[in-house]
Amino acid sequence: MTEPLLELRGLSGGYPPVSVFRDVDLSVNADEYVGFFGPNGHGKTTLLKTIAGLIDPWDGGIYFAGKRLNAEGTMRARVSHNFNYDLFRKRRINTRDVVDAGLIYVMQGNLLFPEMTVEEILDIAPRAARSRPGVAEMREQIHELFPRLRERWSSKIRYLSGGERQMVSIAAGLLAMPRLLMLDEPTLGLSPKLRIELSNAVRKIRETGVPLIIVDQNVEFLTSLVDRLILFDHGTITREIRAGDMPDHDQLMDMMFGGAH
Amino acid sequence: MAFDTFMFILMSGILLGGLYALMATGLAVVWTTLGVFNFAHGTFVMLGAYIAWQVTQSVAGGFGFMIAVVLSILVMFCLGFVLHFALIKPFERNQNVVLLAVISTLAAASIIENSVLLGWGPRDKQIAPPIGSKIDFFGASINTFDFVILGVALLTLFALAVFLRRTTMGRTLRAAAQNREAAELMGLNVPKLFAITLGISAATAALAGIFVGSLRFISPTFGADPLMKSLIVVILGGVARFTSPIYAAFVVGIAESFSAYFLGLYWSPALLFAMMIAVLLIKPEGLFGHRSKTL
Amino acid sequence: MKYAPPFQRTNGFLPVLLVFAVLLLLPVVVTETYARHTLILVFVYAVLASNWDLSLGYGGIVNFAHLGFFAIGLYGYAIFAKVIGVDPWLALLVTPVFAVAFAVLLAIPILRLEGIYVILVTIAATQLLLQIVVSQSTYTGGTSGMVLLPRLTIGDYKLSSDNRLGYYYLALALLTASTFFLYKIERSATGRAMKALRDNKYYAISRGVSEARTRLWTLGLSAIFPAFAGGFYGAYLRVASPDVFGLGFLTITLSVLLLGGIATIWGPLIAAIVVVGLSQLLADYGAWRNIVIALVIIGVVVVYPGGLFAALQEIWSGFDRAKTNLIAAYRRKTGAAARARAMGTSDQLLETRHGKVSVCDTHSGAQAIIFIHGNSSCKEVFRHQFDALRDQYRLVAFDLPGHGVSPNADPEKDYNVAAYAQIVRDLVDRLKLGNPIIFGWSLGGYVALEYAAAGNPISGLVMCGTSPIRTYPDDMPKGYIPSPHMELAGKRFHSPYEKGQYATHTIGMQKHSEPVLWQAVWRTDGQAREQAFAKLKTTDWQRQMSVIQGGKIPFAMINGPKDPFINHTYCARPEFGTDYAQTPILINGAGHAPFVEDPDAFTKAFLKLIEAF
Repeated sequence: MTEPLLELRGLSGGYPPVSVFRDVDLSVNADEYVGFFGPNGHGKTTLLKTIAGLIDPWDGGIYFAGKRLNAEGTMRARVSHNFNYDLFRKRRINTRDVVDAGLIYVMQGNLLFPEMTVEEILDIAPRAARSRPGVAEMREQIHELFPRLRERWSSKIRYLSGGERQMVSIAAGLLAMPRLLMLDEPTLGLSPKLRIELSNAVRKIRETGVPLIIVDQNVEFLTSLVDRLILFDHGTITREIRAGDMPDHDQLMDMMFGGAH
Repeated sequence: MAFDTFMFILMSGILLGGLYALMATGLAVVWTTLGVFNFAHGTFVMLGAYIAWQVTQSVAGGFGFMIAVVLSILVMFCLGFVLHFALIKPFERNQNVVLLAVISTLAAASIIENSVLLGWGPRDKQIAPPIGSKIDFFGASINTFDFVILGVALLTLFALAVFLRRTTMGRTLRAAAQNREAAELMGLNVPKLFAITLGISAATAALAGIFVGSLRFISPTFGADPLMKSLIVVILGGVARFTSPIYAAFVVGIAESFSAYFLGLYWSPALLFAMMIAVLLIKPEGLFGHRSKTL
Repeated sequence: MKYAPPFQRTNGFLPVLLVFAVLLLLPVVVTETYARHTLILVFVYAVLASNWDLSLGYGGIVNFAHLGFFAIGLYGYAIFAKVIGVDPWLALLVTPVFAVAFAVLLAIPILRLEGIYVILVTIAATQLLLQIVVSQSTYTGGTSGMVLLPRLTIGDYKLSSDNRLGYYYLALALLTASTFFLYKIERSATGRAMKALRDNKYYAISRGVSEARTRLWTLGLSAIFPAFAGGFYGAYLRVASPDVFGLGFLTITLSVLLLGGIATIWGPLIAAIVVVGLSQLLADYGAWRNIVIALVIIGVVVVYPGGLFAALQEIWSGFDRAKTNLIAAYRRKTGAAARARAMGTSDQLLETRHGKVSVCDTHSGAQAIIFIHGNSSCKEVFRHQFDALRDQYRLVAFDLPGHGVSPNADPEKDYNVAAYAQIVRDLVDRLKLGNPIIFGWSLGGYVALEYAAAGNPISGLVMCGTSPIRTYPDDMPKGYIPSPHMELAGKRFHSPYEKGQYATHTIGMQKHSEPVLWQAVWRTDGQAREQAFAKLKTTDWQRQMSVIQGGKIPFAMINGPKDPFINHTYCARPEFGTDYAQTPILINGAGHAPFVEDPDAFTKAFLKLIEAF
């Protein structure tokens, strides 16, 4: 068996002192498409933000392509409420290391940079990937993936629709030449038409060979795209479903909430 | 009122406006990017002037003035860059960051002011202007150097605008200002970008300070006035666009020079503050644009 | 986590009395004029900063015009006493009216604005005030200010005689009055409205707090004492100069406030002593003085943004934790025999994922029952049940971390309902308890519900002295009767009087009838109390409710009708009824802890219930 691309070992985290997710174990292979499904507010986004290095993990390890991204050991509890720990305590994970390793996170409901144009954003986007080859080809590809963006090339993000913003975010993520792309709720608040357009684009990204982790609330969108569906509930992985037995919406709701609803 | 008097007042107002634009843009850029108000901005203006004065003492003439400008801007850029890590970065994740930044920048202002007092003493100083000639402008006799100041100030602002819009570096600065998390996710070094912003702000303040220092006397306490004027300008204009405080600076400059003529020196600041409160009451987002944090 | 000692008999009165007694007698020792002058300045700055705290700390209004109130007091005194020529005492009393009027005027723009705009408009207002003062030089002396203001006298006695003894006491009186005034406001309805608006604006507004009126009150009230202080300052130094508008004065006052810590009445007093003391100490060093003070300010703000008072509190809290932990360690050794006698079995320390806990286990019996005690109690509350049920069931009780003889644990990770539930799970695994019946009392009731809600093995749940909650905090006032003792439940520091009050009301007993339980209140880690309460908001209440209403797990409530905390009508709602008990079973005559107050009746009812499970 080959070494997994991304591996989480007993990862715990949250916003101190509130623990959001606990003991998450997960491995994603280099050719895999993984979906996350779970109720809102149960820690999916916090988990992804932790992997992306925006939030310090409390415990456990994040391994990407065999390299450990976060510091060893457990985050020590804060003894004082008022002491400025940021001053003396190093971050336990660095966003730039994560990005440089090729693990790219596309934020949820992304307003991105409201006062910048599509062109400007896509100009600075590959900054993280200057050293990686293929940026020029990826630029070409983006035009094919999102033909809609070409019409809006010099409008500010503020004036774009939700779907178009999402496309710019994904395009910016792709320009960083990801080895693994994490999409957080790409279909949030999109019209059905745009959702179809977006899922087509995501399918094409699949074809280019970039592995994906997708978090979404839309069951059909998820099940049609991924090889493996992970149910996330109360800050832990409660169940994994393989491609063969993908459930439909009602079955999934039943699995998730059982008799409690 | 004679036409030449009118022209003279108008021109001195426009000159003031140019200086205020330079000062206020620095303050506005820090506000929109770092999200804090820098109360040491006035002392940046003052310190920039003193550094330039020191250089002109050793190297005289127009050449000395040029060196003074370059050196002062460089030193102040570095100071601004370093001060970000000392004054603002330590509590960037604290929820009271705005208030804490007020106190830390006020304290920094006190340190700069008193250090200047220790180093250069309390006596007034003036930077010798490199050009002394006057020209006749629609009947009003105006210093040639005033036009140079106005030109350089506007050119600097224009260059800054081009830098922010057209260069990749400037674009990353704007990206960090508009959405910190997203900028981090693009692999940008946000603290460094913030430090550069404070450095740029300090450098423009220094340039303004040199000009002020060659028009008037400078003393260790003269930073308070530029700070207040920049504040009025930023409030009046808002920060919706890069140009908003620049327009407002000219409004304030012209209003100040006319009110000083008609109402007297004492009442002119009062008028400006009253204007500022009125604008805050009626249109808190500023006269020129919407209320939003942008760059 | 801000805590200001109240003046009542219950707590902190003695230290306050002591501080003021010391300040009152200090002039006997401190006779030198300069030292007294320093103290007078300390009092003035303390008044200024602590009143600023009213708007900034409590009201959440970042009002930078606060020193304007002081300036109005100063210039008001100067103009009334010198230019108009009224009696200096009258001038001193009149000026706050103008400061309040200015505050009300200021409130008008502030009502519409937020955040940084408030800072800017208040700075502008102060500058406007300065310009008016400077421009009216006939009355105010312009930029050079006014000198030789009338001094204060009582009859023929000048307050400045006897090395400024009179001024010292006047300043102390001002500080005392101001502190008392702030204390009263903080505890009034207006004070609560202020804090509610600051902490959660929209929630407070939706609950009927008027934002406009509260902000108006906050500003108006915060203007009174600074104006008095300004008038006093003028009478004392006999000078009024526009320097009071300067950034230097602002920096010093703001640093007194921030070094002391926001939203504490006491912080500014401590910080005023430090800052003014330092400033007077370095008075001969000119510019260096300001640099050193500014460096100290930056240092404190950067390293420890909470301020000096918060530091004192943390030291106190650390001391308290060490003390309770020592008590627990000592009792573990010395009281083991007595505890074994009471429970009929000796206790042992078991490792769980949330630290070590002390566990009592009778080891024999097929069906296990786990007893979970409540806040600030210990496992020995269940000794009657251990006595009566040990032959039929396997009984397990344990001390929660930070309680009884269990050691203290990490406050942030281990002191909450979810962690306690995980401890129960660990015990079930370690002691191989199978599917236990869980009895939870008070806070333990929520632990039991959380344990069940997380899907752990269980065959029945009985709850006592706990109200089922669906949404927090909205259901809290429905489920519980607000009483001062409820507030004690979540408080970190208890005075001996408060501890006694709490023990008497929760367990319904006098000191000597239950010495072990009485001691348990003393031993409890204050952080455990505070954290468990503070983190109730992170509990998944919906999930707990689904345990009660899901019908999968046998569930019943047993309560004492005299329980002073829970709302019995609420608990008797049909929605909480199950097949085992339509409404909570009531143990006549008992209060919050029926199993101690009427053990026989309780055990009978309890046994009947669990046999039906």
